[in-house]
Amino acid sequence: MPAAAAIKVMVVDDQTSMRAMIRRALQDIGFKDVRDKPTAAEALAAVKSDRVHLIISDYNMPDMDGLQFLEEVRSDGVIGKTVFIMLTGSSDREVVQRAAALGVNNYLVKPFAPAALKDKIERVFGALS
Amino acid sequence: MQRIAIIQGQNAVVAEPNWLITTLLGSCIAVCLYDPVARVGGMNHFLLGEPGRERNLTPQDMQRYGVHAMELLINGMMSKGATRQRLRAHLYGGANIIAGLGSIGSSNAGFARRFVETEGIAIGHADVGGNRARKVEFLPYEGRARSSTVTDPLPLPLPSPKPLLPAVAGELELF
Repeated sequence: MPAAAAIKVMVVDDQTSMRAMIRRALQDIGFKDVRDKPTAAEALAAVKSDRVHLIISDYNMPDMDGLQFLEEVRSDGVIGKTVFIMLTGSSDREVVQRAAALGVNNYLVKPFAPAALKDKIERVFGALS
Repeated sequence: MQRIAIIQGQNAVVAEPNWLITTLLGSCIAVCLYDPVARVGGMNHFLLGEPGRERNLTPQDMQRYGVHAMELLINGMMSKGATRQRLRAHLYGGANIIAGLGSIGSSNAGFARRFVETEGIAIGHADVGGNRARKVEFLPYEGRARSSTVTDPLPLPLPSPKPLLPAVAGELELF
């Protein structure tokens, strides 16, 4: 059973308040090492220089969106296998299908409850302690 | 002039002249956002600011919160050509009208101010707090808004919008 505290997480969302809410939810689950960035470009640079185990990224962001970010991660020889969970809007069914084709590990529809976030993470990592 | 009336849980975004967005508020908040360059404007109407640390919230519960309503509004604005860095805001509502509900209106108003400040959005006009219901009218293309107090009591409970979430059966099961 993996320990949440041992999993390094990068949260990417262009809205500061949303990043703060996701950070709180992750900390309540037991995650200790949670970083966040407002853009995919900044997050990509950060995880390349200091790897994480899990990326939780919004889809709807200016400049580089979540799908482009996922594609960049998957095409990188070093960080390509990082677990990637995408946050989408309720009407983004096509986005989810494209993300699945690009190798997303799971997705979560906004607005989501903290319990749903934990469930999606555990479906990838297994039950967290 | 064409008119869009929104209720709690809804938002409207317009990028054309001759439209008016309006709503009635008690303790709820309406945030009007506009981009003066792209000439895009929008308004939302939400019940509560942000969730606490309750563990049993459902996605339907989450829809009532401003943190979600603001994201929907900002995304709607950006999809019509607005740029986040140019956004300006007018804030309305947050009245403490109903005895027994405590200061929920003040909490909502505090959230709205914190949110726009955190996101770096300049506040144009703000009319929040007090103990009277308000009617808000917003010209999205011009970015101008006005509020007036409402003498008649608001109908309670306010009508709820149709659920915005897809049925669970409509979700894609990846794993």
